[in-house]
Amino acid sequence: MKENLLEVENLRKWFGLKKGMFSNPLHVRAVDGVDFSLGKGEAISLVGESGSGKTTLGKTILRLYEPTEGKIIFKERDISNLDQKELMWYRREAALIEQDPFAALPSFFTIHRILEEPLIIHKMGNIQERRKRVYEALEQVRLTPIEDFAPKYPHMLSGGQLQRVAVARALTLDPELVIADEPVSMLDASVRIEILTLLRELQEKMKISFIYVTHDLATTKYFSERLFIMYAGKIAESGDIREIISQPLHPYTQALLKAIPDPDPGNRKILRDIPPGEPPNLINPPSGCRFHPRCPYATERCREEEPLVTEIGGHMAACHYADSFLK
Amino acid sequence: MTENILECINMRLYYSTRKGPVKAVDNVSFSLGKGESLALVGESGCGKSSLAKAIVKLLPRNVDTYKGQVVLEGQDIMKLNVREFRTEIRWKKISMVFQGAMNSLNPVLKVGYQVAESLLIHESISKEEAQKRAIEALRLVGIHESFVERYPFELSGGMKQRTVIAMALVANPKIVILDEPTSALDVITQANIMNLLKRLKKELGLTYIFITHDIALSSELADKIAVMYAGEIQEIADAEIFYRKPFHPYSQKLMASVPTLRTDKKLEFIRGAPPSLLNPPPGCRFHPRCPSVFDRCSKENPGVFDLGSEHCVKCWWFEGSGEEK
Repeated sequence: MKENLLEVENLRKWFGLKKGMFSNPLHVRAVDGVDFSLGKGEAISLVGESGSGKTTLGKTILRLYEPTEGKIIFKERDISNLDQKELMWYRREAALIEQDPFAALPSFFTIHRILEEPLIIHKMGNIQERRKRVYEALEQVRLTPIEDFAPKYPHMLSGGQLQRVAVARALTLDPELVIADEPVSMLDASVRIEILTLLRELQEKMKISFIYVTHDLATTKYFSERLFIMYAGKIAESGDIREIISQPLHPYTQALLKAIPDPDPGNRKILRDIPPGEPPNLINPPSGCRFHPRCPYATERCREEEPLVTEIGGHMAACHYADSFLK
Repeated sequence: MTENILECINMRLYYSTRKGPVKAVDNVSFSLGKGESLALVGESGCGKSSLAKAIVKLLPRNVDTYKGQVVLEGQDIMKLNVREFRTEIRWKKISMVFQGAMNSLNPVLKVGYQVAESLLIHESISKEEAQKRAIEALRLVGIHESFVERYPFELSGGMKQRTVIAMALVANPKIVILDEPTSALDVITQANIMNLLKRLKKELGLTYIFITHDIALSSELADKIAVMYAGEIQEIADAEIFYRKPFHPYSQKLMASVPTLRTDKKLEFIRGAPPSLLNPPPGCRFHPRCPSVFDRCSKENPGVFDLGSEHCVKCWWFEGSGEEK
């Protein structure tokens, strides 16, 4: 068994809403009790629809949000209650790649300055050493010739090139953990694969632990080993990607897999058997299993009792009837 | 063979900019049979949406060149003036679901009124009659009558998209152009909308032009697929041929970059970026990125070669294998 870099225990992040004078305070339960661990140098994917809490989970792990409850253990240190000073250490160890490279990079800095900024903030090296590190980072993401790119401003680059800069910025401090939140959803199809391939190469070469947050299940098996499927703030199913694809045990995963087409001329002739409805409101989530209002197999038990995550057939699923889907 | 409902011949749409004309649609021809669906795929900025707007004559002010023929059931609708086009063609014969339209619903008007609006403007019918037809259109897309009196904020994303589709259907058009109809939706909602579109096609005999950048998704509707690159159609093929093995090097590269869930294949990507349409490369526009380029490609723009059964490829490699169009 590999050593764990990150362990998340019963993590919750609730956002408070404005409360009335006499009513009880309301919360959006974006992340509501999540447990998982991430090995050193391991790449995992976190998949969910919009509003499932996947981005909030990523940002809470990075302590960009204050967790409401639960533990985040990174390198055997609980970082869920570090103060601002100690957090600087964590900021060097864990980095984020955001979805929209056009918004993530400051337009008034040159590429060189954008990449130098984290080194300046963390007071690392003198001017020559910093320049060397910036050039190294540009080399790693293959923005060459480096001399041409370093003095440019973000508006002079294409979306794919900007995302490379964002990747380089995340890597300048040599982090151990990188969370990429939908890193390619704003890019064109062929550029997507290019950026994901680059991320995978760097992850393997630099032995970074990597969390790929996405709504696109089809790309996950190319870029990570383990899969976590989130629904309404909780993890519905997790395990080896190929195992889950060949034998999904949670009805939500089954619906998700059915909904994604592969390019095939036969598709136009069939109607897909998909549950109707949309993800629930997280202010007042459904009782019992959160998927039960849309689940074709829901029973009285699903309405009342919340299913626990249990191990079945080599992976984990949170469904009362998961074993009945086992082939 | 079904008769052609729509035929586009040598369509050109250039936008004028300070730096010169942008050739968004350049010499595009295709035909579409009744009840057939055409998927228009390509990377962003290759002219897909411009082609759609050229067909329904919804043009911005900075048009430089707008030429060609659009033949709808034997009538060249490019020749119609603005008023004739508006009263006879748009919405009634050809309607469109715009990209991101679900976010453009008017927040202060009731859903029923917004669906009925095009009828009230284009047809001289009473309010009650229009309302009745709006209810019918909403029912077709699976929205209950009671929602007529609601406002857009009360609807979920999927329902808003259904409403926009109802708006496109309310005047009983023959052709519906769908520009990225599911791009802002979740996968499961997207699959539900695709189911709806398939059902409507069968029930109403609709002809679709389905614009998308997602090739896997395009196979949900396409009987025929047209690949655009840099303002030109590079390949048009039957779905049965295209999704198994496309012919044009660009289509092949595009197919190789599609991640699949159920099969294992190595993913590839296309190096470089699409060219600027101000100054497209000479010869074949794909030649700077093409893996099978040879010297003729950079000099002469390839002709379109018809390989039989309406499979057309715009590439010099197929010069000997088909008739030039």
